[in-house]
Amino acid sequence: MELHIRDVSKTYPNGVQALKDVTLTIPAGMYGLLGPNGAGKSTLMRILATLQEPDAGTIRLGDLDVVKQKDAVRRTLGYLPQEFGVYPRVSAEALLGHFALLKGIGDRRARTEVVEALLRQTNLWEVRKQKLGGYSGGMKQRFGVAVALLGNPKLMIVDEPTAGLDPAERVRFLNLLSELGENSVVILSTHIVEDVAELCTRMAIIDRGQILLEAEPLGAMEEMKGRIWRRVIERGALPQVEREHAVVSTKLLGGRTVVHVYADAIPGAGFEPVEPDLEDVYFTAMAGHIGRRRERPEVAA
Amino acid sequence: MKLLEIFRFELAYQSRRLLTWLYFTALVAASFLFVRGNYLADALYADFFLNSPFVIASVTIFCTLFWLVTAAGVAGEIAARDVETGMHPLTWTAPVSKAEHLGGRFLAAYTLNALLLLAVPVGVMLAVYAPGVSAEVVGPFRPAAYLTAYGVLALPNAFIGTAIQFACAALGRRAIGSYLGSVLLLLVAYGGIISVLYFLQRQDIASLLDVFGHIYITSDLVLGWTPIEKSTRLLPVDGVLLRSRLLWLGIAAGTLAFTWARFRFAHHTPRSWLGVMRRRDAHAPTPTSIDAATQPVSVPDVPRTFGPGLYARQTLAIAWASFRVIARSRAGLVVLVVIAALAVRLVPQNLYNMGTPLLPTTAYLLTFLTTPLSNPMTPWVIIPLLIVLWAGELVWREREHGLGEIGDAAPVPEWVGFAGRFLGLALILATWMALLAAAGLLIQLQMGYGDHQPGLFLGVLFGLQLPEYLLFALLALVVHGLVNQKHAGHLAALLAFALIAFAPRLGIRHNLLVYGGSPGWTYSDMRGFGASLGPWAWFKAYWAAWALLLAVLAKVLWMRGKESGLRTRLRLARGRFTRSTAVAAAAAVALILALGGFIFYNTNVLNGYASAFDRKERSAEYERRYARYAHVAQPRLEAANLRVEIYPDRGAAQVEGVYRLVNRGPGAIDSIHVATVPGVETGAITFDRPARPVVQDDEHGHRIYALGRPLRPGDSLRLGFAVKALAHGFRNGGAALTGVAANGTWLNNGDLLPAIGYQFRRELFSPGDRRAHGLPKRPVIPTLADAQDVTGEEGSGGGAERLSVSAVVGTAGGQVAIAPGVLRRSWTEGGRRYFHYATDAPVGGGFGFFSARYAVREERWNGVAIQVFHHPGHTANVGRLLHAARASLQRNSREFGPYPYRYLRLVENPVRRMGAHAEASTIDYGQGFALFNPAEDPRGLDFPFAIIAHEMGHQWSVPYAFAEGAPLLSESFAWYAAMGVVEETYGRAHLRRLLRFFRQPAPIVPIRQSQPLLRARDPYAAYRKGPFALYALSEYLGREREDLAWRRFFEKHRSGTPPATSLDLYRELRAVTPDSLRYLVHDLFAANTFWQLKTERATARRAAGGAWQVTLTVRARKVTVDPAGKETEVPMDEWIPVGVFAPTAGWREDFGETLYLRNHRIRSGRQTITVTVPKKPSDAGIDPYVLLIDLERFDNVEEVEIER
Repeated sequence: MELHIRDVSKTYPNGVQALKDVTLTIPAGMYGLLGPNGAGKSTLMRILATLQEPDAGTIRLGDLDVVKQKDAVRRTLGYLPQEFGVYPRVSAEALLGHFALLKGIGDRRARTEVVEALLRQTNLWEVRKQKLGGYSGGMKQRFGVAVALLGNPKLMIVDEPTAGLDPAERVRFLNLLSELGENSVVILSTHIVEDVAELCTRMAIIDRGQILLEAEPLGAMEEMKGRIWRRVIERGALPQVEREHAVVSTKLLGGRTVVHVYADAIPGAGFEPVEPDLEDVYFTAMAGHIGRRRERPEVAA
Repeated sequence: MKLLEIFRFELAYQSRRLLTWLYFTALVAASFLFVRGNYLADALYADFFLNSPFVIASVTIFCTLFWLVTAAGVAGEIAARDVETGMHPLTWTAPVSKAEHLGGRFLAAYTLNALLLLAVPVGVMLAVYAPGVSAEVVGPFRPAAYLTAYGVLALPNAFIGTAIQFACAALGRRAIGSYLGSVLLLLVAYGGIISVLYFLQRQDIASLLDVFGHIYITSDLVLGWTPIEKSTRLLPVDGVLLRSRLLWLGIAAGTLAFTWARFRFAHHTPRSWLGVMRRRDAHAPTPTSIDAATQPVSVPDVPRTFGPGLYARQTLAIAWASFRVIARSRAGLVVLVVIAALAVRLVPQNLYNMGTPLLPTTAYLLTFLTTPLSNPMTPWVIIPLLIVLWAGELVWREREHGLGEIGDAAPVPEWVGFAGRFLGLALILATWMALLAAAGLLIQLQMGYGDHQPGLFLGVLFGLQLPEYLLFALLALVVHGLVNQKHAGHLAALLAFALIAFAPRLGIRHNLLVYGGSPGWTYSDMRGFGASLGPWAWFKAYWAAWALLLAVLAKVLWMRGKESGLRTRLRLARGRFTRSTAVAAAAAVALILALGGFIFYNTNVLNGYASAFDRKERSAEYERRYARYAHVAQPRLEAANLRVEIYPDRGAAQVEGVYRLVNRGPGAIDSIHVATVPGVETGAITFDRPARPVVQDDEHGHRIYALGRPLRPGDSLRLGFAVKALAHGFRNGGAALTGVAANGTWLNNGDLLPAIGYQFRRELFSPGDRRAHGLPKRPVIPTLADAQDVTGEEGSGGGAERLSVSAVVGTAGGQVAIAPGVLRRSWTEGGRRYFHYATDAPVGGGFGFFSARYAVREERWNGVAIQVFHHPGHTANVGRLLHAARASLQRNSREFGPYPYRYLRLVENPVRRMGAHAEASTIDYGQGFALFNPAEDPRGLDFPFAIIAHEMGHQWSVPYAFAEGAPLLSESFAWYAAMGVVEETYGRAHLRRLLRFFRQPAPIVPIRQSQPLLRARDPYAAYRKGPFALYALSEYLGREREDLAWRRFFEKHRSGTPPATSLDLYRELRAVTPDSLRYLVHDLFAANTFWQLKTERATARRAAGGAWQVTLTVRARKVTVDPAGKETEVPMDEWIPVGVFAPTAGWREDFGETLYLRNHRIRSGRQTITVTVPKKPSDAGIDPYVLLIDLERFDNVEEVEIER
């Protein structure tokens, strides 16, 4: 099962173009959608989750037309929105059971079985009787995953799941995601590079509604090898370095600035080569040195 | 400073919202429509200006009520937006005090609401000055009128309403709390007013509790002000209104203080009600192991089958969840239980008629517990308001809790979500019905009433009342689903309700045009539901088809996901318009067309739909065409020979008859004018001599036949006719009105049989109606002067006709048929029963035919057979009726002359009310009589007995002219006669109880500005002042003397030529009155006199020999009042009783033992009276029994102060 997104565009009534001709092919497995805030990730995710209408383009999940055959898509969809709430006065068990029925598990015994399995998987079994109002952020998030997993979805859409989780919760959560079925298309949208690095076999970088890069994280890092250079400079020197070199990222370190520069060869004195990580790939693509922005420099300007 | 900034920000924020302007527009529209719909017609009719202060004030009050429920979102949004949008961590942590935070917001909410209410004067001015109003009803523009209404009514109402709404929303942290606050305010305020009125009978406390000035404007003003005052007087800000305003402003301020005290800038932890009882860990639970997901995630692969079975289960699950949410909400089960408990408490207080306790039969209780949706004037108006709230909650719950996206992405068809929510609403409404049934049963239990009919309770509540609410619940759900903005949804749904409720006032009366509209159903012991259920069901089925179509609309436009743009929703709708949806829509449309067509065929083709205006226009046209024949000499109808066939099962009746007409006039008559009854099929009319039809206008009910040979004076003529009353389907108002029912047929000759001559009574009489239909002005009723000229032959006399009737009445086997006269014979023929009646003395022009499965109880009195025909189950008061009839025969025939017939019939008619009605030899009384339970009367008054004694009084009536003062001869006399019978049967104390009830301002309100009794025609004159005057005179003259005057009056006018007038009576009264009391006869009958007698102080002191000397300071004044309300003082020097009384023994009586009661000469002004009594006095006063017409009835007698 593959998800084919072809030339999808979406413009909001206030004129903001959230998606421009997005074309992606997403195979089964974990797929990362990386981009800064406001890049159009959530719009794309909601369109995939049948909650928004693209202005143009087609989306196919296997044989299904996601835009037209909403009901069929929903039967095989698991969706964890970026923000969601719960009924505070209802227990996890009751609400999950309710959603299980909504997802089509009509048989009561089957429902009980699934609810128990999911609550155990998400480690909420011991607190299943508690009102959701008392849940912490991470527990709520895991509850959301449990809801999304109902009905063994072939398409999982997980929108910024780790935002707001404490480190321990995040680890737990990513572990859970990583174990999701091999047969499903799982799309993880995030602005946290590590999430993708740790989980995804394929990824896309999106900014201002456009896909800048579609790649496998490992391959992309491999390709960048030898092109990222590092130098530690005084803060005041940054403008000059930016003028002279293709700076992809800057970081503060002990009161001084660490710049990463993109260049095919050593750009100058004081620079040292670095082993590129996914963050370098991300920033390089964002800065337009690789990916689609390079092919259309006018956009990068 | 910060407060000002908060205030400024809120105001600016709200003024940019579209919704704010929608509220304003809705208010403008409401006030516009209210003025145009409610007052324009009244202004034309009742001669006051459309822009009079009175109208502006009324509209302001109505519109503030409208504002209270529709625009509650304003205060709610301002009070709770921070929490609802999640902004509160930012705003609450700002260095702003609670007072500034709440104060600024409240001020903004109040200011905004005050500004919104400016829509009212805008709407009024639009209504007054926009085209469509005739200039004569527009008075001069008076800014003061608008300013007073705005300042005295709108601003305080806005403050009270905003304070309650704001408090509920701020403390409940939900905007919706403000709507709940409004509903509760209405419930508490009006519930409080109603309970005070009925429990304590305290009008004064009720007026004090008057939140919005509603009671003030609807009672004191309308009733007390003359048209001129209504047009000109500004609203006075004093007394009652001021006190109630201050009280409620105080309550509002208190509520705000409470809000300030209770409000916390603190995170809110949801607590369940049971939370206190359940012990719980102090910490939020955390799973134990950190690497829980070490094994691959595997979820059991359970089968999922999408199909009807699953959808049904999903629907039920959503329904159950919806039901639980509503039931557990603040506006849920708690409120319903409280209302039901209030009903249990309050309904028994309403189980009185004319102060007489009524039995809580199931059928009667149901009249309290049920109401059509379209009636906004009952406390049950709260249910549609709650339905709107609930629908809003159900539509918005998922999204408000952030579960919208997850829920929307679930594979659930839109219709399942909609149907589930609707079923949830249906469940809560069904619960409400069950609560009402329980309340009804509880009422019966607590009143010790044993004849429970749970089947009827449940059948009516679930079968008839629930569908009423379900139709509206569906509409509310659809509106909320389509509008997609919660507060705007509330506004739209409430507007829809207002449209339904006020459609008749806006001129939309056809039930095919008002959502959910249908004719009402009726239930009575005699008739059961009768034919009323059929039309009700057809209309409801028609609206159910509309509801189905609405549901389809909701399905395709149901908000799902993030696309709220109209165009996208329409595009999505096309995708959702699947085959099955199309089938449902087509089925709905087909049903609408088929049912609508069938109904239209019944209401407009078979029965000819006529609005009230159309009907009045028909009367006007009748007058325009035929009034010229009013004075054409016509023969008198002296005998009627009738064969009446009643077909109870078919709802039809047929009459064939022959009239004998005699020319009693001086000239020959060459044409006969026959008034046929519109709506009844009158066939050919035949004469026993050549005659040819000249005019045959059955639409207006007038035919003219030219006689080939004129009818000479003294000659007689036979006129044959046949009429049919058939049920042709049903009308917009319900089943066909043939008067024939399966059990309980009641036909009146006036509604069925042709009459002779021009019918003056068909003319429109109210000045407004006449003006609206372009008819010339005329007195409402002929003046006395005109009546003097009219002779009986002209046929315009009211009670002037006298005829003998012989009738054979056929009805279904098992039923008894009744017609005027003595029963000559009865037989069975072809399964039908026939009864032949013939009168033994002429009866009046009006008579009825009855048929039902009656039981009969019979007695004889001096050769008169007294029969009571009653429904077999209605036996409780039969003995009482017979007693009253016997006692009346006894006394009246002794005092006023012999009873003219050998039989007297009391017949239970099928009407559900308590009224009774007398025709010659026959008295019919409503089924409601069976509810009377005078044995439990706390006053110890047998009022049903008095009613029958009153109707018996009518039996001595003589033909009187249809003219001014006629009520004195009919109704006032009947009560005067009844007073005599009550006193003779039960004693003087009992009579005083009756008089004390008569002096209460309800149900007949005193009217000051009127004509003297000789010319008056208003109900107060007819039923209260007239009887009082006759009774007062009898106390001064002696009863026998006044009875003698009546006896002479009857003897002289029994023939009916010419018909009697009040002046004839006046002559007889004067004849028996000594010169010394002539002034009193004049004051009572020839002038509209009111006495103002007041005891200012009464003191007593011990005198010699154990006696007591009582000194009274009294003030006396006498005025006459003309119809315009102008008062003229009349000097007094007359005899008025002064009484001194010992302490009371029982609370039922006014006074204890009479120590002194004698007439004193009283002058105008203050004076002292000193009398000596043998025992220690307790009360003393002037005119202690209020013989004279004195509207301040409580100040005549004061408690005696004992001096040492």
